[in-house]
Amino acid sequence: MAQSTEHVVDQVAQLNAARSLVLGDSALYPQIVNGILPIVGANARLELRRWGADFLAETFASPMLATAQKQELAPTVLQSIQETLALPETDTAVLSSLVQTSASLYPLIFRHIVNHPEDSKTWETMNAVKQEILRKMDSFPCPAKICSVKFLQRVVQVQTPGLIADPRRPDQNETSLAVVPRNHPLLAIPHLEAEASGLLDRLLGVFQEETSDPLIVNATLNCLAPLIRTRQSIANKIIQTILDFFPAKHVRPPFTPTVRVGVKSMERTARALLFNVMKKNPSHPLMGKMQAYIERLMQSRLEVTEDASRKRALPIEPTDGLDNAKRARLDAMTPPLLKIPPLPPGPTSYDQLFTLTQDIGLSSFDVKQLPPDLVVKIAVPLLAQVNPSMLTQAVDAIRNRYETITKEQNLKRQQLHQAATAAAADEDDDYEPDYEPLDVGADASEEAIAIAAEDAELERDLVSLGAFVLPQPPPLTEEEAGDVGRSAVSRVFGMIDAVETTPSSAQSKTQQQLGFARLAGSTFDRDAWVTLLTRLATRAPAGLEGGDKSKGEVATGRRQPTISDSIRETLYRYILEDFRARLKIGITWLNEEWYSDRVRMKAANSERGDEDEEPTVALFYDTWVLRLLDGLLPYLDSRDIKVLVRFLSEIPEVTIAITQRVASLAKDPERVNLTVQALMYLIMFRPPAREMCLNTLEDVYQTYEESRPAAGKVLARWRPQALPAPAETAQASSTVAAPAPATPQAEVQAPTAST
Amino acid sequence: MAAYDPRVNTGITTPQNPPPPPPPPPESTISDMPSTTEAVDTATAVATGNNSDTPTDSWKLKFCTVCASNNNRSMEAHLRLSTAPTAYPVISFGTGSLVRLPGPSITQPNVYSFNTTSYNQMYEELEEKDPRLYRNNGILNMLDRNRNLKWGPERFQDWVPGLPRLDHISKGDKGALGTEGGVVDVIITCEERCWDAVVDDLMNKGNTLNRPVHVFNVDIKDNHEEALVGGNAILDLANRLNESAMTQRKMHGAAGWENGSGAARLSFDESVPEILAEWQEKHPNLPALWTLAWL
Repeated sequence: MAQSTEHVVDQVAQLNAARSLVLGDSALYPQIVNGILPIVGANARLELRRWGADFLAETFASPMLATAQKQELAPTVLQSIQETLALPETDTAVLSSLVQTSASLYPLIFRHIVNHPEDSKTWETMNAVKQEILRKMDSFPCPAKICSVKFLQRVVQVQTPGLIADPRRPDQNETSLAVVPRNHPLLAIPHLEAEASGLLDRLLGVFQEETSDPLIVNATLNCLAPLIRTRQSIANKIIQTILDFFPAKHVRPPFTPTVRVGVKSMERTARALLFNVMKKNPSHPLMGKMQAYIERLMQSRLEVTEDASRKRALPIEPTDGLDNAKRARLDAMTPPLLKIPPLPPGPTSYDQLFTLTQDIGLSSFDVKQLPPDLVVKIAVPLLAQVNPSMLTQAVDAIRNRYETITKEQNLKRQQLHQAATAAAADEDDDYEPDYEPLDVGADASEEAIAIAAEDAELERDLVSLGAFVLPQPPPLTEEEAGDVGRSAVSRVFGMIDAVETTPSSAQSKTQQQLGFARLAGSTFDRDAWVTLLTRLATRAPAGLEGGDKSKGEVATGRRQPTISDSIRETLYRYILEDFRARLKIGITWLNEEWYSDRVRMKAANSERGDEDEEPTVALFYDTWVLRLLDGLLPYLDSRDIKVLVRFLSEIPEVTIAITQRVASLAKDPERVNLTVQALMYLIMFRPPAREMCLNTLEDVYQTYEESRPAAGKVLARWRPQALPAPAETAQASSTVAAPAPATPQAEVQAPTAST
Repeated sequence: MAAYDPRVNTGITTPQNPPPPPPPPPESTISDMPSTTEAVDTATAVATGNNSDTPTDSWKLKFCTVCASNNNRSMEAHLRLSTAPTAYPVISFGTGSLVRLPGPSITQPNVYSFNTTSYNQMYEELEEKDPRLYRNNGILNMLDRNRNLKWGPERFQDWVPGLPRLDHISKGDKGALGTEGGVVDVIITCEERCWDAVVDDLMNKGNTLNRPVHVFNVDIKDNHEEALVGGNAILDLANRLNESAMTQRKMHGAAGWENGSGAARLSFDESVPEILAEWQEKHPNLPALWTLAWL
C-alpha cells in the first residue's frame, strides 16, 4: 500500500508537470492528452481519475486550444469518458468534471459528425453518454446535477437552429442544427429538433416545480442568456417561462435565513437575466412585460419584510377622507366635496346622527310611509349610480360623528364615576377644556342613557374598561420646568445631529428654489432645526426672563441659568466642537441675537414712561460674539483665513472688541498674516468698520514686528500717513481719518440672516 | 493595517514559463504554498489516510475578489485571502471602466486605465504630485500594499476565464499559485453593482467553459476602514466555504470511493445557501447576495 501510494504521488507529480507544460504551450495538448488517457482511465485509482477528469474538463474548456484540435481529440476522449461513466462512476468530483467535459465535447462531436457522416461509432458513443447523463441526472449528487443542467443547455443549444452568418463558409458558422445538411445519414433534423424541444422543457421544468432548489434554478437562469441571445426560435418561450416564475411562491413556509438567501438569489438572478436580455435588445417585443415582472419581483413580499426595518415608515396620512388637501393631491380627479353640516349642540339622536342633508323637508320625511316594493324600485337604480367617493365621504362623516359621540359619552361616564368616588376632587372640573360644563348636570347620566339606551349597554360590555383619562400632573416647580426645558433643548440638538448625517443635496436644492418667499424652519431639515433653536434661545423668552430681572441681579449672578442661556451655552459648545463645519450655524445664531437685541431695545425705548428712567436691556450679542470668537481663535491655524474672514464678514456687527481679538492673533508669528488679511478684508469690504480696523491694524503694525511687511502694504494703500517713512503724519490724519472710535451703533448693517 | 509580507522576489523571478523546463523543482521550493494542482494532492492525502506527510489542506477553493477599481476593497480581500494561514489561490478584478482614485477634490479624481498601469506607476506618480495629500488620505499606503500583492489592476470584463495565468506566477503575484489554470470556484464582489456587472458579464461571455462558479456579493463601503472590516468578513466566508468543500472531498474519498457513496450527503454546492445565511447572521452589517453562475 505504502509503495503504491508513493507511486501515485510520483505519478501525480508527473501529471502536474505535464499540465504545466500544456498551460505554457497549448500545442502540446494532443500529445499530452493521448499520453495521459491510459493512466487516468476508467480503471485507475480515484486520485488519478479525479486528476484526469479535471484535466479533461480544463482541456476542452481552454480558450487556448483551437477548436479544430479539440475536435480531433474529442472522439478518443469520449471513449474514455463513456467507460468511466459506465463503471458506474460514484465520486462526485469525477462525475462533475466528466459531465462538464461532456458538455464541452457535445458541440465538438456534433460538428465532427456533420463533417464525417461515416463515423457512426463516435455518434453512438456520444448518444450513449448523453442518454446516461440524462437518465441519471436526477439521481446524481448535487454538484454533478448542476453540471448536468449545463449539459442539457448545451445539447439544446446545439440541436436548435442558430443563425447562419455566412452560408458559403459552413465551418465558420456556430455549431447548431442549422449547419446539418438535410440528407445527413446520422443526423435527422426533425428528430434532433424534437429531442431538443423536449430537453428544453426539462430544462425549464425547474421553474414549475412546487418547491424550487435555488442552486438548480440559479444554474439554469445563468445559462439561459446564450440560448435567448442565439436561438430566436426558443427565446420567447424561455422568457415567457421566466415571466411566470416568482421565487417567493416556490418555497415552503418555514422562512429560515437559508430559504431567504435562496429566494433573494433567485429573484436577483432572474432580474439579472432579464436585464441582460433587455440590454441586448432594447426593442424586444416582450420589453414591457419584462419590466413589469422586474418591478413585481422587487416588490415581492420577502424583500419587503426584510427591508422594512431598514427603511423609514411612510408618513402617516389621514385615511378618513376628511383631509381634502391631502386627497386632492393623491387622486388625479378631485371628487366632489360632500358638505357635512355640524351636529346640532346638545344630546344627539340617531336621527340627527345619520342625517347629512340640510334640507328640512327631506330630513323630516318618513320613509316608512312608502310601500317596501316602491322603496326597492327606487333604491336599486339609485345605488347603482352612487358616486363611490361621495359614499365614502358620507360613511366617513357618520363614522366620525359616531366616534366623537362615543368618546364624549365615555368621558362623561368617567367623570360621573370620578365625581362619585372622589367628591372632593374639584380639579377635574377644569381638566376637559372642550367639554361643555352645562352637560355635566345631575341628569347627565340619564340623558346619556336616553340618547342611546341599547347602544350604551352594548358599548359598556364591549369596552368594559372605558376610556382612560390621565390624571392631571402636579404643577411643575420652576426648577423642574427648567430641567424639562433643557432636556427638550437637548433633544432638538439630537435632531440636528440626526439630520446632519443624511445627505441634504436634494433638500438644499428645493430650498434654493423657495428663495425669499420661504418660511424659516418649515423644511424640517437641519437648517430648520438650527433656526428653531436659535430663535428659541433669542426670541421665545424675550421679555419673560429679562423683564423682572433687575440690573443688580444680572451682575451678581443669577440663581438659575435660564433656558435661553442654557440653549446658548449648548449652541456655543456645539459650534466649537466642529467650528469649521458649523460656522454657518454660529452666524445664523449671532444674527438672531443681534436682531433680537435690536427689537428689545426698540421695545424698551417705546415703553419708557418717565424720561429720567433709562431703559435697560441686557444685550446678548456683544457677549456671545466675543465668547464665540474667543472660543475659536485658539484653534485657527494659519490656513484658516477663509473661516475667519467668513465669520467676520457675516456677523451682523463688528465692534472694537472684536477687532482687538483679531489683532491678538498677531502674537503668534505664524498667524500674523491671518490677522492682516482678515483686517484687510474688513477694510476693503466692510466700510462701516473700516476706521476701526485701520486703527487696529495700525496698532498691530506698531506692536508686532512680523506684521510689518504685510500690514505695511495695506496701510500704504489705506492710511499712508500711519507709515513712519514720509513724516507727514499730523496733517494727514486730520484730513483722511477722524479717528472716531466707531461705536457699535455706527456700524449697523442689515443682518444677513434669512428671517 | 495588517502586516504585509515583503515581496519574495528571489526564486520567483526565474520563471518556468517561456521555455518548458521540468517545473516540479521551482514549485516545491516555494515554501508555504503547496504545489499547484489542487485536485490530486487531496486525493493523495485522502488515499494515504493517516499518513500525515502530505498537508491536509492542500486542496483549496480558488477565489476571485472584485470591486470597482481593483484597488481598495478587492485588494484588501485579496491580501487577506492570500496571506491567510490557508493561503488561498486568489485573483482580483475591478468592474469599472477605468481605475479611479480620489484626487485633490471630488471632481478631480486620478484616472488610470486597467490592465496597463501598474500599482507602482500610480504610487510613484501620486507621490510625485502631492505626497502629503496622498499619504494623509491613505492612497499611497493602499497602493504600497497593492504593489506588494500584484502588478496592477485588472478589469473583470477583460478577463478570459480559462486563459492560463502562468505569467502572474512568474511575476510573483500573491495568491497566484493555484490559479494558473485561469479559473476560480468562487467570485466575491464588494458592491451590488459589481455583482450585477459580474453576473451580467458572465452571461455575455457565453458560459463556454461549462464550469459552475458561485458569485457572492458582500456590500462594503468604499473606504479604508470598511475595507478592513469587509476583508475580514470575506476571509471568514472563504474559510467556511472552503471547509465545507474540503469535507465533501474527504468524505467521498474515505467512505465513498470504489464502494458507492451514501445516499443524501449535503454536498458543498448544496451547503452554500446555508453557509451564507449563517455567515450573514454573524455579519448583519454587510448585506450579502449570491448566485450560481457559469464560467
